[in-house]
Amino acid sequence: MSETLSPAVARPDHITDAVFYDFDMFADPAYLANPHARILDMHKSAPPIFWTPRNGGHWMFVSHAANFEASRDVEKFSSEIVPQSKIKEMMSKLPPGAPHIPQPLPINIDPPEHTAYRAPLQRAFSPKAINELKGSIRELAISLIEEMKAKGTADFVADVAEPLPVQVFLKMFGLPLERQAAYRALVKEHMENIRNHDTAAIVRRMLKLTAIMKDTILDRKANPKDDLISMLWQTRIGDRETTINDMENYCVVLFTAGLDTVVNGISLGAHHLATNPELQQQLRADPSQIPAATEEMLRRYTFTVPLRVVSKDIEFQGVNLKAGERIMLFLPGADLDAKEYPNPEVYNHKRENSVHIAFGAGPHRCLGSHLARVELQVVYEELLARLPQFSLDTSKPVSFHGGHVVGPDHVWLNW
Amino acid sequence: MKIRIDKARCVGNARCAAISETLFPLDDEGYIAVSEVDVPPGQEQLARRGARACPERIIVVEDDSQ
Repeated sequence: MSETLSPAVARPDHITDAVFYDFDMFADPAYLANPHARILDMHKSAPPIFWTPRNGGHWMFVSHAANFEASRDVEKFSSEIVPQSKIKEMMSKLPPGAPHIPQPLPINIDPPEHTAYRAPLQRAFSPKAINELKGSIRELAISLIEEMKAKGTADFVADVAEPLPVQVFLKMFGLPLERQAAYRALVKEHMENIRNHDTAAIVRRMLKLTAIMKDTILDRKANPKDDLISMLWQTRIGDRETTINDMENYCVVLFTAGLDTVVNGISLGAHHLATNPELQQQLRADPSQIPAATEEMLRRYTFTVPLRVVSKDIEFQGVNLKAGERIMLFLPGADLDAKEYPNPEVYNHKRENSVHIAFGAGPHRCLGSHLARVELQVVYEELLARLPQFSLDTSKPVSFHGGHVVGPDHVWLNW
Repeated sequence: MKIRIDKARCVGNARCAAISETLFPLDDEGYIAVSEVDVPPGQEQLARRGARACPERIIVVEDDSQ
């Protein structure tokens, strides 16, 4: 889909020719035509760490080495895009009775607070807890795929990839299923605005979300059930009790972080399967290879681009970075780096090094990675088991979006 | 053969446990529960695969046979 390039800002003095490269992560035409092909090309034409004048001017870390080191070094690379001290100051100036503005914690907070805020979620999203959900995730996947199958041709994104994570979210949170329509509407709004990084609009959507959830959240405090909201009420954040504001922050982060990520990940996988009939055949004949295939599809089509801010002036892997500069951890680049993965463009789920960083590295490693893996695997298993050989509907070409979560807008399938 | 794990740097990817839950036990929060494992004879290959699977690269196999 074509997008207008953002205006180029002036290049600061410390940006030398060797680290300058013009790339608009939201609107680069070649990137939107075929994101991962463009990344493979960038490994040949762009520096491993570069500064682009687009979207306000920011760094892009493309190599695996840069992404791996920066993700794990939380002292030099902060997740507090707006410092917590500033947020607290802003909040204290709100008039009394103003609604709490939810924050996506623990994503945008550094250790040690990050550790305290993340700990209660860690157990709920552990491999053990997630494994217990596998059966119900499979039921959801089966019903969505069977419904799609009856149509003969369908947009996989709208029919399976989008509804699945919302339904899983409602189930985990113990939210009333009759609210599904309201959540779907919010998700739709969220997805339609995936290119639009207008902060005020994001805050409005977050407030809408907490407004629909509030009565359930409060009810679970008084009447705990076997769900995530009840569990979170019963845990502590560091040495203090959980408050309604914390609960709203948790709900917002889990709702948004687990949505477009999973949607795009599954859609990229379905797109790969649709264009590779031999792989479909191979996995249908031996479904025990699907977990390995899931991992290789995550590596080949890594799709998230987390943001960091440089904490202080530093030299990093030979490049001068200044305090306050924004860094895009371009994980899709890291996982296509030939230094780490020979012939990175080749899909091969039996490759020797298949260990990717699609879920990031370091303490901010994707909390939902175990859930995401189950969702991806189960969808691939059921899709392959239930549909005959499927392929792209060539009358409806695939378009992609860039930004912080990369993926196809639609994937029309025929079978 | 011994496995050493830089436990403090574990971020809970649990890829080692996906290879072998017995060699790489996790705690209730999904982090590695041990910092050292004596690999039973016959499980060396599994131990190496588990170590290689760690995205944080904090698992080291000490092979005393070499």
